[in-house]
Amino acid sequence: MSNPIDLELRAVTKRFANTLALDDFNLEVAKGELVALLGPSGCGKTTALRIIAGLEKSNGGQVLLKGNDISKLPAHKRHMGMVFQQYSLFPNLTAEENVAFGLRMQSVGSKPRKGKALELLELVGLSQLAKRYPHEMSGGQQQRVALARALAIEPSVLLLDEPLSALDAKVRTSLREEIRRLQLELGTTTIFVTHDQEEAMAISDRVAVMSKGRIEQIDAPDVLYNSPASAFVASFVGQMNRIPALIDGVDVVILGSRFKPSVLGQASGAVNALVRPESIRILPASTKAAAAFAARVVTRSFLGPVSQVTLRAESGELIHALMPSSESGHLHAGDDVAFEITDTKILIEAAHVG
Amino acid sequence: MKRRPSLSLLLAVVLGGIFVGLPLGSAAEYSFRTPATGGYGFDHYIWFFTQEDFGTYIGLSAWLAVISAALTLFVLVPTVVWLNLKGQFFRPFMDFVTLLPLVIPVVALAIGAQTSLPVEWQETELVLSFFYFVLALPYTYRTLDIGLRAIPLSTLTEAARSLGANQLKVIALVLTPVVRGAVVSSVFITLAFSLGEFTLTSLLHWQTFTTWVTYISQSNILGAIALSVFSIVGAIVLLMIIGLVTMRRTRKTVVEEV
Repeated sequence: MSNPIDLELRAVTKRFANTLALDDFNLEVAKGELVALLGPSGCGKTTALRIIAGLEKSNGGQVLLKGNDISKLPAHKRHMGMVFQQYSLFPNLTAEENVAFGLRMQSVGSKPRKGKALELLELVGLSQLAKRYPHEMSGGQQQRVALARALAIEPSVLLLDEPLSALDAKVRTSLREEIRRLQLELGTTTIFVTHDQEEAMAISDRVAVMSKGRIEQIDAPDVLYNSPASAFVASFVGQMNRIPALIDGVDVVILGSRFKPSVLGQASGAVNALVRPESIRILPASTKAAAAFAARVVTRSFLGPVSQVTLRAESGELIHALMPSSESGHLHAGDDVAFEITDTKILIEAAHVG
Repeated sequence: MKRRPSLSLLLAVVLGGIFVGLPLGSAAEYSFRTPATGGYGFDHYIWFFTQEDFGTYIGLSAWLAVISAALTLFVLVPTVVWLNLKGQFFRPFMDFVTLLPLVIPVVALAIGAQTSLPVEWQETELVLSFFYFVLALPYTYRTLDIGLRAIPLSTLTEAARSLGANQLKVIALVLTPVVRGAVVSSVFITLAFSLGEFTLTSLLHWQTFTTWVTYISQSNILGAIALSVFSIVGAIVLLMIIGLVTMRRTRKTVVEEV
């Protein structure tokens, strides 16, 4: 965050009838940064985006753009490009006219307007479809035109409201990389709302994990993954095994072996230990290491370069392990094996949660 | 792409044609007869064309129709947009209210208008446009509402607003063109309705083209038939011209841009 702050939300609150959609919400986004708002549905991420766009009024707090309070500014004066989850191209206009729409609103002459529109269509790789109407384009093409349309006004902030979720998996992956490429190329400050953690991790500078109208943690993707601040973040970002454990003094006891917890917090007694599948190492059944647990292979799913192996521990717990496919070939359902936990610090959560 | 029309379609067109064309044709034939010479001629048409009020009333009717169509375009369209966008709460109320002109007898409306409207309003025939607009509401409101419900209204509005369009531009430049078919239809309905309205106009003792036709037909039966043929054919031609103009423009844009 060496760049100056471009967009800031200060103590923004939003209430809908009886639910608190945003609860004292704070966010700072640096110039040229791409920040993802990630969270389950109903966590307030879309509400936050709509408040930034001016499409929703907050009940309290401020939205600042380059230090100026824009909380009272109507949406059409905020100069923010937005791409929506639903297809939102104007059906009566061609791709080119759609992209030029924002410039038309700024009373840009028709010649420069057309030039700019074509330039942006070129940028998203669709210049050959300039004369097409939305209904003559695929979903992916429509969203790319929508992206070009939002970028055409050279927005102060680009707002993306789950722009990929209506698309199929292949298009989704390629388009998200395209969004990132364009965003870096143009240096546009961008907020990207998604419920897909993989999507958020893949293209963001920082990811804000949200829950119940607040940010639980905002960090770079790898920090978020490796040192989650809470059990919620840990289980929302990536996959987690929940293994019943006990707090005993300063140790956490998992299946009879002692580990150091990463944060002890208030927890005591029965807890869940959170262990990533890649932190489970499968060993031959004959291993007699101190912290190795006996288990039996339940299934092995081949996922390409890696395979997921599901084990049943002696205590009856199902444990997921992720390992290179090249090392898992010899494992078959019903095989007796052992496993160990490679983490040195174990994240725990109170046992009644989840 | 051209398919041969099916037999049933052909049959329907022929039967419909006979149903409309036969009486109209017979009336036309009758209206061209000249009893004096026993042949055919334009005598009866010349008769009503030369009536001094002919131009006055046709002009007035057209003027009233244009005003009520403008009311539909500039009052009803934004209202229905607003209802769909933000006024969901009022929708049941509007659904009900716009049905009232069908339920309440025109006589009741006329008496109500006479007793409750300010006297100054009753002195100008322009007030009729307002009544025509109201009487056409059951049809125009629904046409527009269905058109607007078929598009992702809030997404398009929000997209346009985020691109810098104010509420007025959203309606004029985005929503109205998108639901153009429905808008054109509802304006059509208002025009046709206003041009042909008789009951209320007559009950309120106003003279427009329709009431004038009834009035002068009492003195010249053949002239009245000629006038009826003229107004029916005139109305059909007028609506066809408007229809063709709007359709041609739509097709032209498509051909130009694809």
